[in-house]
Amino acid sequence: MSSSSLSVNEGLVAFASGIPLPADGAPASVIDQDVPGAGRPPVPLSGATGGITPADPLAGFGATIAFAGNQAVLGVVGQVDLVSAPELAAVLNAVIDLGHATVVLDLAGTDFMGAAGLEIIATTGSRLRSTGGQLTIRSPSALVRRMLDVTGLTELISLEPTGPVEGHLGPEQTVAVPGLPVVMAPAIQAEQWRRVTAMPADLDVLDGALRLVVALAQATVSGADGVSVSLQRHGRLATVAASDQTVSDMDADQYATGEGPCVDASVEGRWFHAESLDQETRWPSFTPRARKLGISAILSHPLLADDRPVGALNIYSRTAVAFAPKEQELAAIFATEASLILRDAGADVSDEQLSGRLGEALRRRHIIAQAQGVVMERDGVSEDAAYTRLRNFSRRSDRPLHEWAADVVGSTRREAPWLEN
Amino acid sequence: MAGELSGLLDQARQDAGLSHGELWLRYFELGGMSSALQVEAYLYGALLPSDHDYDVVAHALNERFVELGGNHPVAYSDSQTVTEDEGAES
Repeated sequence: MSSSSLSVNEGLVAFASGIPLPADGAPASVIDQDVPGAGRPPVPLSGATGGITPADPLAGFGATIAFAGNQAVLGVVGQVDLVSAPELAAVLNAVIDLGHATVVLDLAGTDFMGAAGLEIIATTGSRLRSTGGQLTIRSPSALVRRMLDVTGLTELISLEPTGPVEGHLGPEQTVAVPGLPVVMAPAIQAEQWRRVTAMPADLDVLDGALRLVVALAQATVSGADGVSVSLQRHGRLATVAASDQTVSDMDADQYATGEGPCVDASVEGRWFHAESLDQETRWPSFTPRARKLGISAILSHPLLADDRPVGALNIYSRTAVAFAPKEQELAAIFATEASLILRDAGADVSDEQLSGRLGEALRRRHIIAQAQGVVMERDGVSEDAAYTRLRNFSRRSDRPLHEWAADVVGSTRREAPWLEN
Repeated sequence: MAGELSGLLDQARQDAGLSHGELWLRYFELGGMSSALQVEAYLYGALLPSDHDYDVVAHALNERFVELGGNHPVAYSDSQTVTEDEGAES
C-alpha cells in the first residue's frame, strides 16, 4: 500500500464509524498540500508520512500541479515505475475527483515510465473519457510515444508532443550508449522489486504485465518483428502473451514439434540464438515451418523463477542476423524483467491452486443460485429480493452466504425428500 | 447510491488485504456477473455498478472482514449505516 493511503486500522475505523470518506479520501490529503502552490517546485508525494531517506524507493519522485479553469496540469518528476505509479494514480484520481475533467500529464520531467505508468494512462484516459473529459499526454519521450502507439492508448488520449526534438529517444534509451554495459537503469532496482513482492498475486495483472513487457520489447529491440512469452502452465508450455498471430503460430509449432529455441530455452534455462534459419541445423522439424512463415532469426531467453526455467521470452525477426549484441542484451533485460514479474506473482498462486479455488467458487456460486431460486419460489419475491434476503441472513449471522445457501437448499430437501430422487 | 459509495471500495479492498483477482473471485462466487475488469473499474469509480453489483462486491468484502475478525464495515446500497444490526431485511 502506498504511504499516502490509510493504514488498515484507520481504514476500518473510518468504515465502522459510518462516516463516509471523501471519494478517494487518502489522496485528497496529498492534494490539500499541493494545490495551493501551483507551479512551485515538486513536493515529494511520499512526504505525508515522513521524510525521504536514501533507501526510500520513492525518493526523487514528485509532481507539480497547476490549475487553469477546468484544466489541471500535472507535471511528473522522476521515475514512474511500479513503486511510484500508485502515487501518481492517487494524485490523478484526486485531481479528477476535485472536478477537473481535462487533465494534462506533463512527462517532460520524467526520466522513466514503465508498464505500470502506461496502465495508469490507460485507466485515467478511460475514466476521463467516460465522463466526457480528456487526458492529454504532454512531452512524452519517443519511446513512451511509441509505446502509446503500440498499445493503442492513443485512442484514449490526446498527445501534445512539445519538447522532444526530432530523433530524441528519451532517457530510457540510455541502454543504447555504445561501449557501456547495457543497463536498463531505473527499471529494475532491487529495492523496488522487494516492495512489489509484498503485493498479492493476480493472474490478470500478471498477464497484463507480461503483455506490456512483450510490447515494450518489440518497441525497443530493433529488428524485432514479433515477441512472445511462453510459460509452463499445467505442465506444458503455452504462449501467454504474443504480439501477433504469426508469433503465436511460431510458438505453437515449437510446442508441436517439441523443438526450437523457445522450447530449449524453457527447458535448459539458457538463451538460444538462431542467427539465420537458412543455416540452422539444430531444429530440423521446426526450422522449415518457421521459414515458411517468413521468419529468419529467433532469439529466445529463458524466464527464471527461483533460478528454475519456467518459460522463455522469444523475439522473432524476418531479417537474418537481425540481432546484434546490443539487441541480445536488451532481450536479456526484458527477460529479466519478465522473470521478476513471474517471481513476484508465482510465489503466491500456482495453477493447481488457482484451478482448485475456481472450482470451489463455481460450486459455491451454484449453491447460492439454487438457494436464490428456493427463496423466490417460497416467498414469491424477485431474484434480487431473494438475494438480498439471503445476504441479510449472512450479514446478521456473520456466516458466509454460501453456508446459508447450503442450509436453505438442504432444508428444502428435508421438507421435500422426493426431490432427492 | 452505489455511485457515491464505490469510491470507498478500493480502500476497503486494500484494508481487507485482497488482490483485485481474489476480490473478483469472491464476487463471482457470490453470483456476480461482471468481468474482473469491470469489477476493477467499479472499485476505481471508472464504471458505475448497479446497486445489486455494488452490494455483491460489498458483501464479498464484508465476508472477508468477518474472516479477519471484523463485522460488516462496508455499507450496502440500501443502507448508509454500517452497523450489522441495521439490516434492510424486509
